[in-house]
Amino acid sequence: MKHWNSKKIGKNTLLMAIVLAAAVFVCLQLSKLNDDNNPFAVSIFILAVAVIARFTEGYVFGIVSAAIGVICVNYMFTKPFFEFNFSITGYPLTFTMMILVSIIISTLTTQIKNQEKLKYEAEKEKMRSNLLRSVSHDLRTPLTSILGASSVMMENENMAPDERSDLIKEINKDAKWLIRITENILSVTRSSGNMTLKKDDELIEEIISTSIIKFRKNYGDFPINVKMPDDLMLISADATLIEQVLLNLFENAVIHGKTADKIDLIITREPGKVVFAVEDNGAGIPHDELKKVFDAYFTRGETSSGNGRRSMGIGLSVCQSIIRAHGGDIFAYNNSQGGAGIYFWLPMKEDADE
Amino acid sequence: MSELRTKILIAEDDSGIAKFLKSTLTASGYNAIMCPDGKTALEMIASHCPDCILLDLGLPDMDGQQIIASVRKWSRTPIIVISARTTEEDKAGALDLGADDYLTKPFGTIELLARIRTAMRHTRTTSDNDGIALSGKYEVGDLTIDYKKHRAYLNGNDANLTPNEFKIIALLGKHSGQVVTYQTILKELWGPSASRDNKILRVHMAAIRRKIEPNPYEPIYIFTETGVGYRIAENEV
Repeated sequence: MKHWNSKKIGKNTLLMAIVLAAAVFVCLQLSKLNDDNNPFAVSIFILAVAVIARFTEGYVFGIVSAAIGVICVNYMFTKPFFEFNFSITGYPLTFTMMILVSIIISTLTTQIKNQEKLKYEAEKEKMRSNLLRSVSHDLRTPLTSILGASSVMMENENMAPDERSDLIKEINKDAKWLIRITENILSVTRSSGNMTLKKDDELIEEIISTSIIKFRKNYGDFPINVKMPDDLMLISADATLIEQVLLNLFENAVIHGKTADKIDLIITREPGKVVFAVEDNGAGIPHDELKKVFDAYFTRGETSSGNGRRSMGIGLSVCQSIIRAHGGDIFAYNNSQGGAGIYFWLPMKEDADE
Repeated sequence: MSELRTKILIAEDDSGIAKFLKSTLTASGYNAIMCPDGKTALEMIASHCPDCILLDLGLPDMDGQQIIASVRKWSRTPIIVISARTTEEDKAGALDLGADDYLTKPFGTIELLARIRTAMRHTRTTSDNDGIALSGKYEVGDLTIDYKKHRAYLNGNDANLTPNEFKIIALLGKHSGQVVTYQTILKELWGPSASRDNKILRVHMAAIRRKIEPNPYEPIYIFTETGVGYRIAENEV
């Protein structure tokens, strides 16, 4: 209850007021039917208290409504009407019952909520440890290669120049790979954690162009064809992270598409969202792997080829957590050309292009 | 002899990176002065008056922002901030305090040398840009920004920029090759009371790109520095 803000209190108070008003209304109607001690009043107010305790947070509202309920029953619905009379038999019993009901239900509700929270935390923790496991695997490989190559060079000072330059190139390549992994890890800490996305209104075309420029640094002229509506599209997003998603998808198309020689990026608008599809014309994804590719520890082709060009799992699971943190979702499919496709959508306000 | 070479001061605490910077710069004919911490850096800047400063924002003894602020009190020496991937706010903050440019680790030698050349070219004269001062124009590729006529041309044809669009591109041209923060552009357009809302700026930028870029998805003139600002291509001579 420490982090209660006035909005929450207002919402809960409103709910309480509405439910109590409804109870009063029902009791008044029933009183008209039999102009006597209203025998239903107590049970109706207990129901109201139960509802309030269930749907408000903490104990306060349930207990307050129990008190109000007792007062209402006493004042309006027991003889003498519209007068307080605390000497009625059974009065303390009614009061205690209402309070107890409210406390029991509030406790149950709070427990359920806590359990949900724990489950969510566990889910997040699982995701994080999966990621850590696959990251440490993915870090070890290039690090071993760098360590090995540099030690060999240190120990053999009379190495042939071309052999030496081969090793240096290998070190350089592995260092670049490490950069890629690091970028992904950073993105995850930014998009999971406490969900501190740095959202701003961003032009989709700027996000696209920045990710293509980054891609060009390592993959030269590999063709990327962009198709998108001509109108301006602004989305509220953490641009750095969405760029990271696109970069990962482009790189995957090149690394895992094998025979792919082009990438299509297709942007379409749907009500309330914008859809990005990254497709290649390469080997595609085997049908039974379509769902698994987003697992952090999923590694493709490692068993068959040994080298396997390392896992794509990290990249795609990072993409998934980034997109989900933005309130969207991401899926894998094979397109009509047989190549792999990944599409993701992000929420977009309808008036974003005004 | 060494007195004649351009002096570059490097404030960097990581010895590996310091070594790599020093050998790169020495190989390119610069005289590199190394400082492992902020206190030494401030003393050396005052006594050596370097031509350019490479500053790591994460020095052990002092916040890099403090160094920028204190150097800017008395000197216009170009400062290039080197940072590990800190937040965009840090970069923009360093630029708004008076740093000239930034490089994010990891960076390559080509990029480093290009940024140093750009930064030094901009401060060699008191006006913002040599070329513009002489010809009244900034030219890069097929794009010409004519500061006297207040027009921008593509292949000699008027690109039909609106006055605000021209103001933006003119400002970028004056700082060619360097990132200009959103805040700086907004101030230039709408004065110091400009709002912090970048939306309108982005809409202008999209319009400019549609008028001058052959392919807006792979721009060759105006680049986006995500979360920081924009950079216009440098006409490397």
